[in-house]
Amino acid sequence: MILSRKWIPYLLLAPTFLIISVFIYYPAYQSFFMSLYKVSPFGTSSRFVGFENFLQLFQSGGFIQSVYTTLIFVIVTVGIGLVISLLLAVLLNDKIPGIGIFRTLLFSPYAVSPAVAGVLWAFLLSPVSGYVSYLFLIVLKIQPQWLTTYPLALIAVMIATIWQNIGFNVIFFLAGLQSIPQSYYEAATIDGANAVNKFFRITIPLLSPIIFFLIIMNISSSVFYSFAAINVMTEGGPSNTTTTMMYEVYRERFFYFNNGAASSESVILILIMAFFTYLYFKFGQKAVHYQ
Amino acid sequence: MLRKLLMVTVFVILASVIFAAPITLYFWQGVGAAFTKPLQDLCNQFTALNPNVKVDVLYTGDYHETLTKTISAVQGGNPPDIVQIYDVGTQVMMDSGVIIPIQDMIDKDPSFDINTIIPAARNYYSYKGKLYSMPFNSSNPVIYYNKNLFEKAGLNPNDPPTTFDQFIADAQKLTVKDSSGNTIQYGFTFGTGQPIEWFFEQFLAIQDALYLNNNNGRTGRADKAVFDSPAGLRVLNFFNTMVQNGSAIVAGAGWDNARSLFLSQRAAMLIDSTANITMLLQGAGNKFNVGVMFLPHPSGVPYGGVIIGGASLWLINTHNTQREQAAWDLLKFLESTDAQAQWSAATGYFPINRNSIIKLLYQGFYAQHPEFLVAVLQLLMSTPDAATSGALSGAMPDIRTAVNNAFSNVFSKLMTPEQALQQAQNQANKDLANYNSLY
Repeated sequence: MILSRKWIPYLLLAPTFLIISVFIYYPAYQSFFMSLYKVSPFGTSSRFVGFENFLQLFQSGGFIQSVYTTLIFVIVTVGIGLVISLLLAVLLNDKIPGIGIFRTLLFSPYAVSPAVAGVLWAFLLSPVSGYVSYLFLIVLKIQPQWLTTYPLALIAVMIATIWQNIGFNVIFFLAGLQSIPQSYYEAATIDGANAVNKFFRITIPLLSPIIFFLIIMNISSSVFYSFAAINVMTEGGPSNTTTTMMYEVYRERFFYFNNGAASSESVILILIMAFFTYLYFKFGQKAVHYQ
Repeated sequence: MLRKLLMVTVFVILASVIFAAPITLYFWQGVGAAFTKPLQDLCNQFTALNPNVKVDVLYTGDYHETLTKTISAVQGGNPPDIVQIYDVGTQVMMDSGVIIPIQDMIDKDPSFDINTIIPAARNYYSYKGKLYSMPFNSSNPVIYYNKNLFEKAGLNPNDPPTTFDQFIADAQKLTVKDSSGNTIQYGFTFGTGQPIEWFFEQFLAIQDALYLNNNNGRTGRADKAVFDSPAGLRVLNFFNTMVQNGSAIVAGAGWDNARSLFLSQRAAMLIDSTANITMLLQGAGNKFNVGVMFLPHPSGVPYGGVIIGGASLWLINTHNTQREQAAWDLLKFLESTDAQAQWSAATGYFPINRNSIIKLLYQGFYAQHPEFLVAVLQLLMSTPDAATSGALSGAMPDIRTAVNNAFSNVFSKLMTPEQALQQAQNQANKDLANYNSLY
């Protein structure tokens, strides 16, 4: 009885573990292995090269550029995305008529597949038939080339990504906001605090675990899941300025068939994400502040 | 003795049963979902002649994706019998070790006459005199122009520009601005991403200039890029002049944006593949008359010609003689006079079989559709040499990106054309070294 109770958790974990092993651990192991080799496109000939792939990455401008692009991309999409989401969540937390409709509408972008979202934005920003381009033309009398010039292409991809993530973030912020007892605000009102004070001294500190959780989630999603929008909207161009690390891995593997280079890039990505996951587990619970 | 006879009889019966068993060939195509129907139609005609062989045509995504899926399928041990691979994937396939060079089948099969394949197509898919794949859908770029807008701008639609300078001048005349200075009609448009790298290669060949050393990788593995030349610079300047003076609009990555700019009459001239003649003519419909002109060339420079583009059909080594024989029969059928004529008339790809061209001409097809003739003539009037045979290297996909980046950097004024071309060539040399280190 005791023995079986001890084993039940493992039994319950087994299906998940099996799937993860096949689809995550084994490919990850293969990536580590392949990052030390140069492999021909069809895999018919390969050569052990040690760390040469990694060395070449840091010598080639392409990878370094993609690291900078990823940094800008992550900081902007996570930063601006979370601020907008929080403001929207605070507005949506009010008891106004039809609030359910607004909440549903705001969540709907998250339900759209990233590839479809990319297509939608590519349509909107298209220089030929795009509504946004047309609006800019009649209101501001300018014709920005959204998807083909730097830095507009990067901005366009970031807008699409932020738009996609807002729904997810708002739902979590809303849940967080609703768990803050109303009595704190009442007490603050009696003490004479204004709305800004209440927001920064009650709402933000009590939301900090959620904020921390969302920062980590958003970083990993903007590093990994931004792929579809970039692929559909710009294909990493112009001149690689929208090529993030994830997209660089894809291009190396599926455009240029440089299996070794792609593997070493994904190893670096795995290490970076491992670091963020570690941060989350280490500081996730301690980041709560009460004032 | 009797026993031996019995065994032979049993063997013969067994063999005939096995050989008569119907087989299904898997044919992966990457030319486009819209082309599955004309392809399947052709293959059904083949099945009608060979009732034992069914052919399953499957669209496996664009050319890139088809190559990627082929690699996965070969590694997974479940490859197709025939796969369509684009021009720049040629060296990768040659080096793959998983294909049967078409030449091997031709040498065994006296019924096939290799001379029916037009020389340009044969040269592109051959290395040192050995044909590796069966040319199939071949195209090259041409300039499409709006005859109505030509007339409106005071230009003669029956005398389109032939030189770079004339072209630039006409593009400016075709550019129209409204009262507040916004351009409402551009002279010229083109797609970046995959299209422009291809145009760059073509305009180099137009000037009879090489792209890679060792005669474009035709007399030995190419290890240096040579496109940073006066000829390369002329191409970059040709596009850039029109972008900077506002007569050309960069339509964005891919083919579709440029096409819709042209079809919505917001651009008067478009550079695009001949493969889309049918689509563009239908798109223009009754709204305006579409003209097709030869690629312009810089005056005072020897004329080379265009490189064959598009894709060819590769025979995968499935270690099954019966399947391979059936696949070879299908390839022969697809190269035949009637099949190529039918395919060309349905799409705009030109026939790679010389007899098909003659047949279409005699039938009056080219008299009715002179647009289709431009592509064929442009190719056939090219000088057959290394420059117009096209560059051969497994690093071509990488190099094309480097060239595309050069164009982006010049258009957005981040670099001068000289700097951009030099940087692209340096990158190309690294890519070549990287690929060559594998073999």
